[in-house]
Amino acid sequence: MRVSLNWLKEYVQIDVEPRALADGLTMAGLEVEAMERLGHALDKVVAARIVSVERHSRADKLFVCHVDTGEREVQVISSAPNLAPGAVVPIALPGTRLPDGRVVKETKMVGEPSVGMLLAEDEMGLTDDHSGIMILPSVLAPGTPVASALNLKDWALDIALTPNRPDCASVLGIAREISAVTGQRLNKPEIKIEESTPPIETLTSVTIEDPLGCPRYAAGMIMGVELKPSPFWMRYRLHVSGIRSINNIVDVTNYVLLELGQPLHAFDYDRLKENRIVVRRAKRGERFTTLDGKTHTLSTNILMICDGKRPVALAGIMGGLNSEIFAGSKNVLIESAYFDPLTVRKGAKELGISTEASYRFERGVDFDGVIRALQRALMLISKLAGGKIAKGYIDEYPRPLETPSIDLRIDRTNRFLGTSISREKIAGFLQALEMQTGELEENLLRVKPPSFRVDLTREIDLIEEVARLEGYEKIPVTYPAIKPSEEGDAPEISVAERIAEIMVGFGFTEVISYSFISPTSADMLGVEKQSELRSFVKLLNPLSTEQSVMRTSLIPGLLASVKTNFSYGERSLKIFEVGKVFISQGAEKLPVEKRFLTALVTGLYEHKSWYGGERFADFYDIKGVAEGLLKAFGLDNFFFRADETTPWYRPGACSSIYVEGKVVGTVGQLSSLTLKRLEIDQDVFILEIDLASILDKARYARRFKPFAKFPGVVRDLSVVVGRDIQSARIEDIIKAEGGELVESAKLFDLYAGGKISSSEKALTFRICYRSRERTLDGREVNKLHEAIINKVCQQTGARLREA
Amino acid sequence: MSMDSRADQSDVHALQEQILELEKRALDELNSVRDLSRLEDLRIAYLGKKGLLTSIMKQLGNLAPEERPIVGRVANRVKSSLLEALEKAKERISSAEEPELEALDVTLPGREPPRGHLHPITQVQGEICKIFGRMGFRVVDGPDVELDYYNFEALNIPKDHPARDMQDTFYISENIVLRTHTSPMEVRVMEKQTPPVSIIAPGKVYRRDSDVSHTPMFHQVEGLLVDKGVTFGDLKGTLTSFVHQMFGRETGMRFRPSFFPFTEPSVELDIRCVICGGTGCRTCSFTGWIEILGAGMTDPEVYRFVGYDPEIYSGFAFGMGIERVTMLKHGIDDIQLFFKNDMRFSMQF
Ligand SMILES: [Zn+2]
Repeated sequence: MRVSLNWLKEYVQIDVEPRALADGLTMAGLEVEAMERLGHALDKVVAARIVSVERHSRADKLFVCHVDTGEREVQVISSAPNLAPGAVVPIALPGTRLPDGRVVKETKMVGEPSVGMLLAEDEMGLTDDHSGIMILPSVLAPGTPVASALNLKDWALDIALTPNRPDCASVLGIAREISAVTGQRLNKPEIKIEESTPPIETLTSVTIEDPLGCPRYAAGMIMGVELKPSPFWMRYRLHVSGIRSINNIVDVTNYVLLELGQPLHAFDYDRLKENRIVVRRAKRGERFTTLDGKTHTLSTNILMICDGKRPVALAGIMGGLNSEIFAGSKNVLIESAYFDPLTVRKGAKELGISTEASYRFERGVDFDGVIRALQRALMLISKLAGGKIAKGYIDEYPRPLETPSIDLRIDRTNRFLGTSISREKIAGFLQALEMQTGELEENLLRVKPPSFRVDLTREIDLIEEVARLEGYEKIPVTYPAIKPSEEGDAPEISVAERIAEIMVGFGFTEVISYSFISPTSADMLGVEKQSELRSFVKLLNPLSTEQSVMRTSLIPGLLASVKTNFSYGERSLKIFEVGKVFISQGAEKLPVEKRFLTALVTGLYEHKSWYGGERFADFYDIKGVAEGLLKAFGLDNFFFRADETTPWYRPGACSSIYVEGKVVGTVGQLSSLTLKRLEIDQDVFILEIDLASILDKARYARRFKPFAKFPGVVRDLSVVVGRDIQSARIEDIIKAEGGELVESAKLFDLYAGGKISSSEKALTFRICYRSRERTLDGREVNKLHEAIINKVCQQTGARLREA
Repeated sequence: MSMDSRADQSDVHALQEQILELEKRALDELNSVRDLSRLEDLRIAYLGKKGLLTSIMKQLGNLAPEERPIVGRVANRVKSSLLEALEKAKERISSAEEPELEALDVTLPGREPPRGHLHPITQVQGEICKIFGRMGFRVVDGPDVELDYYNFEALNIPKDHPARDMQDTFYISENIVLRTHTSPMEVRVMEKQTPPVSIIAPGKVYRRDSDVSHTPMFHQVEGLLVDKGVTFGDLKGTLTSFVHQMFGRETGMRFRPSFFPFTEPSVELDIRCVICGGTGCRTCSFTGWIEILGAGMTDPEVYRFVGYDPEIYSGFAFGMGIERVTMLKHGIDDIQLFFKNDMRFSMQF
């Protein structure tokens, strides 16, 4: 809601500076989001009387004017069509900066000098009128500053209204709040009308066929109006509030909407068939053209205003083209109604229309203010457009609405707020807001809110009003005694945090990607048709197809980051994300949400430095990250096995990660096909771990193991095997054959080439033998080592490597 | 005999002289020796098995028994004096040896261990959770894809209510949405737990809104306290303490009335603009204030949904946008940067 400060001052005295007023309103719950100074740029604009007007000798559309500016007479060139000798007009003399930033200069126009500029209303930032030069009251003496003479120095306040306060969607409503906060009297606008015959009942009638949708419908009439533009003051106020001026009749209905918050509609009486009003639901499939020229197909959810034959307006939303006021309108029927908020809201939503009227009806207008607004409009129309007001008004109001009575407990109010406000003070606050307060007991007020406060129905609503008027800043600060919880933090979140910290320690940088992705991302990764990675949760109303499904994998997000960083030249990345993926369980069920860690490396793993060369990342870098991470969580019991099922990895360069026999994730290198689809021209290595699968194990506290008491014996085992023999197979054999005497067996050398044939490789393991009960003797170890060697050779075709 | 005795006499003296002279010469040499190998040579020359002092001491046997202790004492004193000098020389040489090594270029870059960067959102989220954790709030987790019931209905936002306009919603189906705030967690926790309840719920939220100052996904932290006798003053105290811990004790702040369907009275908390200090700038729309969170006393209607008795229990809830707090804290002026994952941004935090 945008409102003129000068307009507000018509209803309530305001003694403070505009900024202080804005602060006060904000602190009362009417947040002033922005303020704009109006008319302050017009300091150098003065009134000038036109002395003569002649057509420019060399330019058909220009006039050469001589004007009296008070101090002197100057020549000005203008193209405005409404220049006449004797008229008083605003002139900006050279040096004036106009509201749009232009600076007026002394110039020549087609050979004629022009000293200054005669101004139209829009050039002064007052309205959007550019039909001609603004004509000022002829009483203004030449040289009078225009802004102060016309009281144009003003402020526009932009107030963000919360949905619970439709009563403040009006200038009077805001003035009422100012009055309640400052204690200044509220001066409501005067309503005085002179009725003439005939009585309205002889002219028209109103039938409400749907009293639930339309609890109250009032109508008044004015005959023989003269349609013309509204006077400046009205156009100015509408303009400040962002409403376009149409003609004096329509402008009045909008003006009263802004002033009192009651939407009105003006019908051309003569265009209403049978000259009457019927309020009913639309028929299904009925078509109707609104005054903006759009044609809608209606459902029975829509409440319609009809004449004797056909619909003439969408009730509470917008009027129709077939009955709107036009240049030839003479007799006007004004509608002032209370429509059911939910009905209007559903209708407006269904039709996709939102208007100043529907905004207010949806939130609830003042059902007791209907007649006042009707009469205020009739009064203003007769003032601006002449005409005769028909006697009386029609007020169809089958079941009058009433505001509830609410009991407010004083002690509860104070207990809830942590205050000690007296009963008298509380009653005073409520009265300032136009509530009636009857006292029942020492501790109890029976409160009747005014009809425009649709938000006040419960005790808590009144407690809020007490807090608001007391001022939130006055409520004492206290600290709650929070009882310790028996439960700890959600493990999903604490484990995710720990993983992130460990990854950062490993040199990886965290990224956060959007949870929604493109459904084509599954194709990019070559995901099979039946994979759950295609069980997308689909958005019904996505912003774009690129963000139309919830991700089933974090990989697309990381790859997007790869491309972002490649695009400006960063080609070495170590990144990770810990986040959720979403697997649909059908449109009517919540999806399964799983947290994953996904890490990615590409480019250089080690950069060139003065102490060493650069090295590109490879499979074993990402695998090492997986190993380090699992160990950091105390999950030492993991192993890796080649994986052939993940479609985006290069066959032979990917592995499943097992913890206690269960797959918890994968590591691998993207296949060249995947890279080609993604248009990435560099090797990419990825690690994925499902957090849920390690969550329970990660929470398990580590057990202390006593140090070994007896010395260990170390023996190396160096064998030459076929290239296809995986090292874990030999390790498994060593452990199986060695039993519990083998404390550890670690591969520490891998050699290929040289004397080794191309189909073979040499592997060297360091085995540590140790017993928990005794010191092993050398012969025993040798015997066991020999047995292991034999077994390895036997089962893998290995042979001992010659030293 | 007497001759022998005289001769003996002179032998004793000569021997003593010899020892003292040896001491003098040895000390001179030990004090001036400059390297360890020469020192070792000296040790062997004087104190070794065939060294000078050792061979002198072997001559003690030739002396008369009563004279042996006299010379022996001298010899022992000299021996320990030489051992001492030897030690000293060793120390002197060792410490003197270092400066002779080539000096390092200490300005060469060190071998820095690899260091990653936590996303600033994660860092600030952690900080917020820690502050409230210290006050006694427990972290809870909940779904991003949420039932309309939890996201709206049970928070007193019925279908077709104007308050739904406050948040543009992504729909999955008629009854399933992407949560528009972390507030559904309030209901989920209260459904399962009787008071007292004190939780915070961090997470992603989604709104169908994308322009220079909005991203369709962002992060929030929700907080909820329910107990007997919790007051509006307690709400002010808890959030004041948070602002002081997060932004510093000097930070100006104000609580102003607002509206949320699930709290009453409702509050928005503004802090003094950290960019301009309150004089007005673009960040604060020239108001001098920046809104950092919404809060309020939980509406009795919400308690009705979860079966709490509002006559017995009261409490408050709050929710804040983590992006907003992070932008203020780090002076980030473009919210879009958070999800572009450009390393030139990420590596700064
Ligand atoms: Zn600022």
